[in-house]
Amino acid sequence: MSKFSSPHSVTGGEGWLAMTLHFRYRMVVWLVFASICVVAVGPFVFDEYTVNVLTRAFLFAVLALTIDVLWGYTGILTFAQGAFFGIGLYAAGLTFTHIGFTTGTVLLALFGGILTAMILAGFVGWLAFWHGASTLYVAVVTLVFPICVVQVIYSGGQFTGSSSGLVNFAAPQLPMWGWFIVCGSFLAIVTGIMWVVVRSDYGRTLNAIRDNEIRCRYLGVPTSRQKIYLMMGMAGIAAAAGFIFACVGTFAAPEYAGFVFGTELVIYVALGGRGTIIGPVLGTIGLEWVSAYLSGTFPFVWKIFIGAIFVAVIVALPQGLLPPIWRLLRQYVPARLLGENESGHASVEVATRTSPEDRTGQIDEVALELSGVHKHYGSLSVLEGINMKVAPGELVGIVGPNGAGKTTLMRCISDGMERSGGIVTINGHGLRRDSPADIVAYGLGRSFQTTSLFESLTVAECLRLARFYHARPSKVDRAAHIQLPQASHQVLVSTGLIERLDKPVHNLPHGMKRALELAMVLALEPSVLLLDEPTAGLTKQDRELVGNILTELRRDIGLSIVLIEHDLDFVKEICTRLVVLHRGQLILDGTVNEVINSELVQEIYSGGHT
Amino acid sequence: MYPAPRLLPAVSNHAGHAMIYLVLDAVTTAAILFVITSGLLIIFGVMKIINFAHAGFLTVGGYVALVATDLEINPWLGFPLALIVGVALGIVIERLILRYLYDRPLDAILATWGLGIIMIQLVTIYFGREVQFTDRPISGAVDIIGAVYSEYRLWMIAFALAFAAAMWALQHGTRLGLQTRAVIMNEPLARSLGINSVKVRLITFAFGAGLACLAGALIVPLSSLNPNLGIPWLVSAFMLVLVAGNSFASLGLACVVLGTAQVVISTYTNPVIGNLTLPVLGALLLRIRPKGFALE
Repeated sequence: MSKFSSPHSVTGGEGWLAMTLHFRYRMVVWLVFASICVVAVGPFVFDEYTVNVLTRAFLFAVLALTIDVLWGYTGILTFAQGAFFGIGLYAAGLTFTHIGFTTGTVLLALFGGILTAMILAGFVGWLAFWHGASTLYVAVVTLVFPICVVQVIYSGGQFTGSSSGLVNFAAPQLPMWGWFIVCGSFLAIVTGIMWVVVRSDYGRTLNAIRDNEIRCRYLGVPTSRQKIYLMMGMAGIAAAAGFIFACVGTFAAPEYAGFVFGTELVIYVALGGRGTIIGPVLGTIGLEWVSAYLSGTFPFVWKIFIGAIFVAVIVALPQGLLPPIWRLLRQYVPARLLGENESGHASVEVATRTSPEDRTGQIDEVALELSGVHKHYGSLSVLEGINMKVAPGELVGIVGPNGAGKTTLMRCISDGMERSGGIVTINGHGLRRDSPADIVAYGLGRSFQTTSLFESLTVAECLRLARFYHARPSKVDRAAHIQLPQASHQVLVSTGLIERLDKPVHNLPHGMKRALELAMVLALEPSVLLLDEPTAGLTKQDRELVGNILTELRRDIGLSIVLIEHDLDFVKEICTRLVVLHRGQLILDGTVNEVINSELVQEIYSGGHT
Repeated sequence: MYPAPRLLPAVSNHAGHAMIYLVLDAVTTAAILFVITSGLLIIFGVMKIINFAHAGFLTVGGYVALVATDLEINPWLGFPLALIVGVALGIVIERLILRYLYDRPLDAILATWGLGIIMIQLVTIYFGREVQFTDRPISGAVDIIGAVYSEYRLWMIAFALAFAAAMWALQHGTRLGLQTRAVIMNEPLARSLGINSVKVRLITFAFGAGLACLAGALIVPLSSLNPNLGIPWLVSAFMLVLVAGNSFASLGLACVVLGTAQVVISTYTNPVIGNLTLPVLGALLLRIRPKGFALE
């Protein structure tokens, strides 16, 4: 990395950050510039038909890019991008046909189209991305939307030109080679921007949403809102491409708004290589080019051929065609250009407590209060009338046999949609149907029974993600330093994770994964901590370590901790209070000794636990 | 781009009998939707994937009916023939492609969409793109309390009931049905009990594909035949499956409610809005009530 440092960029500690940014920008700007130069030569090399075909392909490639960001990077399979393209297309067609063509109407059509597309995308997003929506539901909503748009165009009669569309309206005029350069440059610039964005911390957040959306919510990332914003942004870009398309061809046809067009673009993205930015661009240009020549000669056979390749790629090469080709090529590319060095060199440092709320004033209040919480599935009651109070500085252990409802109770506290009734109050915030991300903002942190990390991320990236609420990720850059609270930092140091910040999570041994899980929850700076079997599968040494950290957190910062644990010895050592859950009811609540020695517990554990 | 399903709605506004026609249209529309969606529902219920090749199967079924016409055999024989062709296609596709995609439901959507394209293009190459007509097993109209109504449309009600009965009998009367229900409820547990879920899936997909082809053959007499026959139905069927969950009773309810809404809105506003009724209402319903029409 130091090879690329210039004297200007190294300014103390922040020099690393400035330099990385500087380097990445410089490289991307050069590549974009080089692409535009290549594009500028195009019209002199290709015949007119090819120029025509490629101009069209450039705009479709922009659309493919938006699908790649949504689907490849964020996991949202969408068929609706064609419809947003169509909205931009018709914004131009309708404005130029019915109002006329002036500089004013050009701006009106462009921004009107983008704005309409974004508003509708916001609505589609609201419909599709709610708390608990399945990916299939999202797919079907994005399928219904283009159908509605097409039907609206059909029913517009003379106004929208119905099924034959709008033709021959006056529009901004350029010779074909001019449009070729405009569209090519537009594509190069959008590609450059996307390239930077998906490699930023924000881009990694999108990856995390794709890999494990539920976990993201529990780390305070409002995933639904993020996805809606992203969809709106991508819809705006699609509409801009549609607007240019209308100007180039001076026609607007309903099939460009339909779901079959949207699906075709998804096919291009899949073939090129989802989640690679370059793959979908090359795939779209290549396929549009080839099919312009072949679909005339062999119309049906060509479609079968594309269909067959598509099915084969989906089954055998889900990553598309670019990644395997790239793996072959990369051996010939100098290592310093590959950009691998960019992801490295993350470091962590201790942050001063940055929570927006000062909680010291609430020290004598109750941190977590449950009253009459119950949960049932149909007629089956899993939790009944749970009442519980946890004060700051308390470490409460929940014990009980398997199936007693312990994990369900944690769910009811950490997700507003889970409980069937009752009141949960966290730091004075009464929960309604809040999403886990909202509840994180009230000061709750929850760890899971099973390690559920983000397999495609590195340790440092996971930690950055957990800081979403405190430090919004940059959309253009990667932060070189991650500010972590003391406790989280301590976990990293004492487990040795700090040595492995740049390692991908999926290679970590189990104990380290558990430790990372804990470090991530602590990075949220919670004041109430829910831990579901934090020591499951850990060695005795690691258990002691976790026990010490929890005790310190409770004593020194006044954290309230609720913990599910099967290991009674561990519980005895660290808890200040125990509650016993049995068959969905809270049957005992007292000091550790009271509970452990009570006849009831002896009975349950000897009779019910086997 | 794609016209709405051509045979919906069969709105006829003869004075005096408007109400009778409305009821008949609603009931027959629900029946048609039920027949169209059954094959998709079976596959979704067991495998939790949406078979986007459904449109292709509907088309293939329609053309099997055409072949029956060309061979000048009894048009009734076209139906079992379509079922058999569909089952055979289903077996091939499941073995060659689908079984690699069970843990990737979104990829399964895409792969089956690609398969649908291939099937439709093959049909286009062989039979041409032009609209064709098949022999109808039943033609003519009947008089119901003064309203003259297409007899074949009324037969669709019988077909839908037969589908439902067959499905119920298979699920509750056979060993395979029991295994299938076990796989639907809890696949890992079913496997641990020695149920061969690979076999259950193969049979399910083959059967679902067969039903889809049969449905294609059944609806052809109501309209004309062209290679894109199936596509307009796909989204409606997709939506019905999502609101129905995995129960045929819920599907029946969903078809009646949404089918009636579609007919009523087509009649009193215009067919364009009518055609959007089902998908839009379905999407909104799932947003408000994620269980949809699921009964339990």
